[in-house]
Amino acid sequence: MKLSTIFALLSSILVLFVILPVFSTFTTQFSDLNGLVQTFQDYDVWRTILFTAYAAFLSTLFAVLFGTPLAYTLARTEFPGKNVVSGVVDLPVIIPHVVAGIALLSVFGSKGMIGSISPVKFVDALPGIVVAMLFVSAPFYINTAREGFQSINPRFEQVARTLGATQFKVFFTVTIPLTWRHIAAGALMSWARAISEFGAIVIIAYYPMVASTLIYDRFLNSGLQASRPISILLILFSLSVFITIRVLLWNGRKNESS
Amino acid sequence: MEKLLPIIICLVISCCMGDVQTAEKVKLKVLHAGSLTEPMKELEKIFEERNPEVDVQLEAAGSAKTIRKVTELDREADVVASADYSLIPHMMYPKYANWTIRFASNQIVIAYLDDSKYSNEINQDNWYEILRRGDVKFGFSNPNDDPCGYRSQMVIQLAELYYNDSSIYDDLVASNSNLKFVEKDGNYILEMPESENINPNTEKLMIRSMEVELIYGIEEGEIDYYFIYRSVAKQHNHKFVELPDEIDLSNESFSDKYSKIKVILANGKEVSAKPIIYGITIPKNAPNKEYAEKFVKLVVSKEGREVFEKLGQPPVKAFADFPENLPESLKDI
Repeated sequence: MKLSTIFALLSSILVLFVILPVFSTFTTQFSDLNGLVQTFQDYDVWRTILFTAYAAFLSTLFAVLFGTPLAYTLARTEFPGKNVVSGVVDLPVIIPHVVAGIALLSVFGSKGMIGSISPVKFVDALPGIVVAMLFVSAPFYINTAREGFQSINPRFEQVARTLGATQFKVFFTVTIPLTWRHIAAGALMSWARAISEFGAIVIIAYYPMVASTLIYDRFLNSGLQASRPISILLILFSLSVFITIRVLLWNGRKNESS
Repeated sequence: MEKLLPIIICLVISCCMGDVQTAEKVKLKVLHAGSLTEPMKELEKIFEERNPEVDVQLEAAGSAKTIRKVTELDREADVVASADYSLIPHMMYPKYANWTIRFASNQIVIAYLDDSKYSNEINQDNWYEILRRGDVKFGFSNPNDDPCGYRSQMVIQLAELYYNDSSIYDDLVASNSNLKFVEKDGNYILEMPESENINPNTEKLMIRSMEVELIYGIEEGEIDYYFIYRSVAKQHNHKFVELPDEIDLSNESFSDKYSKIKVILANGKEVSAKPIIYGITIPKNAPNKEYAEKFVKLVVSKEGREVFEKLGQPPVKAFADFPENLPESLKDI
């Protein structure tokens, strides 16, 4: 057997493994189209999903604002303790999300280090949801942006510098345009991760309710049949945003190379 | 792959070995309500000390879910203990069981910590005045998800009748959320909205899905008071105000008074207020009947009662609904 055949076989197992549960969620729903239609017309469900998307958007903004400089620094400079910083960036991926929620609560709660002096209320409020989302999704943005910065040749920047451009100008007119696709892809991943977060959010803010909390809540008190249509709605909504942006990015790449 | 093979073989062998070692012991499966976790752990220890050939395996879940494991998922269980004794006859008779022993009770209390606001003032007579104060925050669990949550609503509504103050529920809950009791022919009915429409004023109320999630709320100082089972408060060393028997759902002799309060959950299920009394049974298909009987005997014994007392679940006099169906070894209780 050729290596490519073996690889194709092994890969398809993993692809199937991901696709099957999602597929079965959809097919099971076909026997209850009525429930699906009802959920599609449910104003409160839509409100919750849009609210979740909005909170995830805010979280992504913060990730880009603070994560881009960090990603650039990690990609371009050597400094003592760099490995430690890299490890810290990945920490949220390792920590169980419920633990992350409790840890965030101890900092952003009314008696916490930041929560006690902040004029903004975090617990059971939008800012709490945003910090929980940011905590779990930031690594996705930072690591993708970092790869982007690593992928461009520093000589482009050096050339621009020798031509007299300031560091700021080089960063915004050379570095960013060359990596914007990584930045956009990272932001998209981080947005999607934020939308799907449950464990950390439910600890710091059960209300206002986000989509994953709503799905869990319906599952608890009315069972799978009531929660499934909302899951499908959320999957369809996130997927359509995801695919739209991906297609835009991909077309951009094609035009560029032609 | 060649390098991995020995590792895989070792893993497989060690898994099998692990199985062999525990297979020598009798596995006694005890499915129980979540609120019984602590006392059950203690009873497990005592039981295993006396019967070293037995490995007691505890499995906690909501009471209805616990019973459904046997009736719908066809799980084999040796002992089933529910936080609401009436669920056993309701869901298991006659196919899966035919007797229930009531063995312990619980009650709703208002728990707090020393640094909760006005903790030095609060008592059985003024708690609702304290909770009314603008700077006091309190919590309960979501009535749609958790029996402790709808029981808390029942208690607050019962307080209106007991203290003769018809605005207690309105001031504490109704004006801070979409929850509201409506009077109908002398009954009081709360029709629950879907959870996403409860709309709590989060400056005053903290709602969480499950009662135990409120514990970090109080320990992190987010709330000053919360409605909770006495046992949970005691097991977490929280202080608590005990409410009058007439309203705290602990006393069977007030069953009629309680039953005037009803909650209709968002999923359509209707629940009436009734005393919180735990029940235990041995399912008909229990694989290890002999040890199961010994375990139930321990639960209702003097020693068992002391465990429940210590952990905040006042034992009640063991009472079987169909004594003639009890196994021989349990007939003398």
